[in-house]
Amino acid sequence: MTASTAPDKAPLGEQARELYRAFLNQISDFWFGMLLLAVWGVMTLIGVVVDQGKDPSFYLTTYPAALGRLVLRLHLENIYHSSGYVAMIGLIIACMTLATFKRVIPNRLPRLHPVKIDKIPLNATVEMPGDPETVRGRIEAFFAQRGWLVRKREAGGVEWTFADKYNWARKGVLIAHVGFVIIAAGTTMYWAWGYSGQTTIVSGTTATIDQNGAKFQLDRFAYRIDPIQTRSGTVFQPIDYVSYLHVTGKDGVSRAAVLRVNQPLDIDGTNYYQASYGFAVPFTITRDGVPVAGTPSGPLKEGEGFGIGQTSRSVRYSRFVGTIDPRGGIGADPRPNNPGVALDFFDGDQPIGQVLVPLERGLDLGNGYRLNVGRYVLYSGIQYRHDPGIPLVGIGAFVLLAGLCISFYFLPARLYVRVDEAAQGVRVGIAATTVKGYEIFEEQFQSLVEALRREAQPPSAPRRAAVTVAEGVS
Amino acid sequence: MNTDQILIVVAISAYIVSTLAFLNYLLSGVEISKRIGIPFAALGCAVQFSELVYRWQTSHIWPLTNLYGSLSLFAAMSVLIFILFAMKYNLWFMGGFVLCIAAGFLAYALTWNEGYLPAVPALQSYWIKIHVPLVVSSYAAFMVAFVSAILYLIKYYGEQSLEGGGQRTVAMQPAGAGGAPLGGMELRTTMTQTAPRSIIVGDAPYLEQAAQQGNTLALWLATLPTLAKLDILTYRIVAVGLPLLTLGIITGAWWAKEAWGAYWQWDPKETAALFSWIVYAMYMHLHTRNGWRGLRCAWLAAFGFITIMFCYLGVNIWVSGLHSYKM
Repeated sequence: MTASTAPDKAPLGEQARELYRAFLNQISDFWFGMLLLAVWGVMTLIGVVVDQGKDPSFYLTTYPAALGRLVLRLHLENIYHSSGYVAMIGLIIACMTLATFKRVIPNRLPRLHPVKIDKIPLNATVEMPGDPETVRGRIEAFFAQRGWLVRKREAGGVEWTFADKYNWARKGVLIAHVGFVIIAAGTTMYWAWGYSGQTTIVSGTTATIDQNGAKFQLDRFAYRIDPIQTRSGTVFQPIDYVSYLHVTGKDGVSRAAVLRVNQPLDIDGTNYYQASYGFAVPFTITRDGVPVAGTPSGPLKEGEGFGIGQTSRSVRYSRFVGTIDPRGGIGADPRPNNPGVALDFFDGDQPIGQVLVPLERGLDLGNGYRLNVGRYVLYSGIQYRHDPGIPLVGIGAFVLLAGLCISFYFLPARLYVRVDEAAQGVRVGIAATTVKGYEIFEEQFQSLVEALRREAQPPSAPRRAAVTVAEGVS
Repeated sequence: MNTDQILIVVAISAYIVSTLAFLNYLLSGVEISKRIGIPFAALGCAVQFSELVYRWQTSHIWPLTNLYGSLSLFAAMSVLIFILFAMKYNLWFMGGFVLCIAAGFLAYALTWNEGYLPAVPALQSYWIKIHVPLVVSSYAAFMVAFVSAILYLIKYYGEQSLEGGGQRTVAMQPAGAGGAPLGGMELRTTMTQTAPRSIIVGDAPYLEQAAQQGNTLALWLATLPTLAKLDILTYRIVAVGLPLLTLGIITGAWWAKEAWGAYWQWDPKETAALFSWIVYAMYMHLHTRNGWRGLRCAWLAAFGFITIMFCYLGVNIWVSGLHSYKM
């Protein structure tokens, strides 16, 4: 039995190769690629609609309960950095690469072979005077003058003329796909060798960047907010944020630098950006006039807090208030005219209230405790990023764009021309194919045939007299 | 009224006149309507650009830093792109829809006009003069493609309805009955002017048959280009919009790198633009397939514009992110 069935079974190596071929065919399949694009699109859209990167409690409290749980269970709260999303992009790149080399390039470089002219939807017949050889020469010159690449082949005793235009543009898809792959490579370089982060520097202090040791001393931070009268009222519009710094790079030399929004600093290959600013405020706690241990040593930034002595209570500096309205509320002007701080108080994890306290004032907390609020000092928020992949991403983006433009604006077309003897003169059959169907080339084909009809006649021949055009309808 | 407001009123008025003229041209085929619509469209477009330049010159504030300026440019670019395409491909029959949408967007823009507001620091960059016009131009191109796709769908389903009731129509209006209205006869006359017959794919036979019988819908549908031509038209306009959108995303990424420290922040605006880009990339791929060219691609182009509107207005207004510049 074994001996009789053995010849029917392909060897293991052949089976593996077959499986491999089937796998490659599947990955490079057009519809598989479209499916991947569609899934990528849906995943991207989910990330637009669902808030990203929030605390789990945000989804449970902000969204309907079932939806919130669904978001968390499916990990949709960080979809762009999920393994599924990254895998999808990886699959798309694999699909594009394989499809380009397995299908797009082979399919788009057809061999020069004869066709049945009247079977191609774009076809025309032109009857012309003269012998076949002369007419063929004139037709070749006609196409060559218009930028067509003319080649001749003999098949079955018939001489065919082939004319190609924008043949190079067949590579447009390849170029676009290569651009996409280069972008992905550039992005991967950041993941592998790049870093980013942010730091805040209070005026008069120095911050050190952990990854590269660069030192930033904030001499002064300045901002400008102007009141602008609009149709719906006064708007306080931020106009400028600027950090005046002394920066020490790898060479150990301290240099003065100015950092503004949209004007990053490049220090030893790492870019630094003016990202934010704020008002740092010092707080002290006393009990019966005596400072309590555990009070923060430096000024706090918005969002920071501390415990109140040995109690279970704590306070958080919620936000800086530029103008406290004399009637007790928060004024619209964010500039520090009558400044204060909004403080949140907690007992354990439970919020127990919010208080607005003017700067350089105190607040009685009971049991002898008193919270003192000092003067504000400005701090600057600086973002930094070292991304060695940026040049590659830039190149990839423009390669992608170039590929798109080549694919969209240059239509590779091929003309098939056959000259046969007729009762009077010759009959020229012309057909055209393109990589994007026939309709898109129809007008050009018609005008080309018209031009051929007008120009391919000898100057002495009476115009139109011996010429007819029969446009094919298939 | 100040000069700014007068210019806006003139632009909207010109668009309304142009809309009515082009719609009349589409429905009746009267050539004079087209001749009225074209100069009014050009006038409105020119006045709109003048208004944006005027705002810039008088306030020294780049006019595209807020939603009003952006929407205003969108309306003007839609009309400009339409005029350019119409001149090349004789698309004046679409004018009524394009101008109507442009006028609507310009009117909507007025609701966001808060006057002259200086740009916030993040927008104080030369990139705003490159990125915003590119992106808005791509949106405008997609709007014109949307109109073309909608006309495709109207014609397709119109033909379908005629095919479904074809026998009945013929039976009710026998040949030579003389039931064709005068307007219908005029339509028939102008048909060859606006819609030259394709040597590959002509109108469906039942459409011609119904038109000959004086069926009003058929007569109107026959004035539109063939479905194949409308499909190619949509493709050609999307082929302008997609590279513009790509370039807009690239320049936006470049700007983001300078302003925020990373070229891609996964901000809702960026990801919504990426989603639209994916939709149109699918459109361009699927248009290479015979089975998808036509009806399915028309639906996809229409859907694509909905995603563009979501990216343009929905994200700006409803979703908070780095691009939340409403005023």
